[in-house]
Amino acid sequence: MARLHFLKSGLQTTIQDLGRQGVQDLGIPINGAMDKASAQLANQLVGNDTNSPVLEITLLGPKIQFEGQCQIAITGANLSAEINGNIIPQFRTININHGDMLSFRKPVTGCRAYLAINGRWDIQSWLGSYSASATNTVQTTPDSVIKKDQILEIISGKQQSVISIPQSERPSLSIEAPLKVYPGPEFEAFSAIEKQCFFGNRFTIGQDSNRMGYRLKEALKGYTQKEEVISSGVIPGTIQITNSGQPIVLMADAQTTGGYPRIANVSSPDLDRLAQFKPGDTVRFELISFK
Amino acid sequence: MKIVPFGDSALLVNFEQKIDEVINNQVLSLYKQLQEVKEVTFLIPAYCSLTVGFGEQTSIKALSEQIEELTSKSQSTDLDLNTKLIEIPVCYEAPYALDMNEVTEKTGLTQQEIIDTHCQETYKVYMLGFVAGFAYLGSLPEQLFCPRKAEPRKEVLAGSVGLAGLQTGIYPANAPGGWQIIGRTPIPTFNPKAEKPTLFKAGDAVKFKSISSSEFEEIEKQVSSNTFNLEEYYG
Repeated sequence: MARLHFLKSGLQTTIQDLGRQGVQDLGIPINGAMDKASAQLANQLVGNDTNSPVLEITLLGPKIQFEGQCQIAITGANLSAEINGNIIPQFRTININHGDMLSFRKPVTGCRAYLAINGRWDIQSWLGSYSASATNTVQTTPDSVIKKDQILEIISGKQQSVISIPQSERPSLSIEAPLKVYPGPEFEAFSAIEKQCFFGNRFTIGQDSNRMGYRLKEALKGYTQKEEVISSGVIPGTIQITNSGQPIVLMADAQTTGGYPRIANVSSPDLDRLAQFKPGDTVRFELISFK
Repeated sequence: MKIVPFGDSALLVNFEQKIDEVINNQVLSLYKQLQEVKEVTFLIPAYCSLTVGFGEQTSIKALSEQIEELTSKSQSTDLDLNTKLIEIPVCYEAPYALDMNEVTEKTGLTQQEIIDTHCQETYKVYMLGFVAGFAYLGSLPEQLFCPRKAEPRKEVLAGSVGLAGLQTGIYPANAPGGWQIIGRTPIPTFNPKAEKPTLFKAGDAVKFKSISSSEFEEIEKQVSSNTFNLEEYYG
C-alpha cells in the first residue's frame, strides 16, 4: 500500500478517468479527463487499465509526500515536476520510495498534467466513474476534488519495468496548429461572412474558461442573432455561438443540452489538444469534412 | 427525420423541429430502442432530437443505417417506456413563491388562479437537461404563459418550481436561472445516493399538488431526518 499526503492541493487538482458515459439522458455531464490521450498514456506507463483514475493537475501543481513505495508516471503539460527537488522526466515510469516528496514549479508548456499511480485507488466512485462530478461533488465524489491535507491510499499493483514514451509519440502541446472542426448541426444557419470570420480569425481563450467550457473573447463581427434552437443535445467539443456572437467551446464538464446554434464540433484528438491551451492563448479553427 | 453527424463520435437525429407530444414520443421511442445497441455510449433525448454517442466499434455510416432501419420498422404508438405518474407537493406561498407577484402581473390571473391552473394539468417530462435531474415539463396551459425573468438569478434554491414560456420545471439543486419561481417542493428531485439518482426520466407524467407551509415544513423535516418514504418516489 502507498499513501499520498497532499501538503498542498495545487490550483485545481481533481481525480479523473475517462468519464461518466451513459447517464446523459438524466442531464448528468460526462466529466472525465480533459486531455484523454495523455491520461491514457500515463496509465499505460504504470501498467494500469486506461480507464483507471489519474490526477489531473492544472497549471500550479500540488505538493505530495509519499508513504510506502509505488510507481508513478506524469504526462501532458510540463509543469516542472520534481522529486525531492530534482526535475523528473515526463512520459516515463518512475519508482517512488518511502518519504519522497513530489512538487511542481513553474508551468512550462501546456495547462494540464496527468499523474498515474500503479494500483487500485481507494476512493468512492459514482455512476461508474471516479471522475469529479461538477454537481453535488460533496455527495457524489467527495474524494475526487483534492484538498489540502487529504490522504489518498493506493493498493499497489504488480511492479512494472520502467518504460518511456519517445518524444515523437507524445501528444503535441503546440498551440500553433489550427484545431480541426467538423461542421455543426446549425452550420448552414450562419452566413458566409460569419463563417469566414469564424475560420479566418484567431480567438483568445478567456480567463473565465474552465472545465465546463472555453469562452472565446472575440465575438463574430456583425453577428446577427439566429432563431433559437429548441433545446437539444450538446457534447464536449461542441462550439456554440451565444446571442452576442461569442463562441464557447464546450469541454468535459459541459451540461448535456443547450439552445444556442452549434456552428462546429472539435475533432476528438484536437479536443485533447485544446485542453492544453491556457487562458490568454489564441486558437484558430480549420474546417474538415466527414469521411 | 434527418440524421446528421455530430462531431466524430456522435450523431444527431433531428425530428420535425417543434415542441409537440407526438414528435417527442418518436424521439423517446428511438431512445428506447437504441438503449439496446451496445456500440451506443450515451443518449440525450430532447424535445425533438436525439443525440447518439458511439464508440470505435461502429461508424457514422453503419450507425445511421441502423437507425434508419429501426425507425422504418417501428411506430411510436408501440411506445412503452415504463414511465410513471409522479405527484409533486408544492407550497405556493411566501417565502417560496418569489415571483408570484410578477407572474400575476404578466398573466393577469390571481394567485389562486395560477395555483389552480398549475395543479389541474398533467405534464409530460419531455427531456432532462441544464443540470443533473432538471426535467422540462410541458405544456403549460396558455393562460400561464410567462416569459423568463429579464435578469436571471445567480442562485435559485433546490426544489424551486418555475415557469418559462409554456414550460414548467423544478430545480434539482441550487443553480443560476431565469425561470419565474412560483413555489417550492420539499421532495428532493435529485438523490445521488439512489441507484437511479434522478426522480424523473423522459416520458414520465407529473402532477402538482398545492400544500400549506406547515405541510411543507413537516415533509422537509422528515426528508432531512431520513424518515420520509422517498422509495415511494424513487422506487
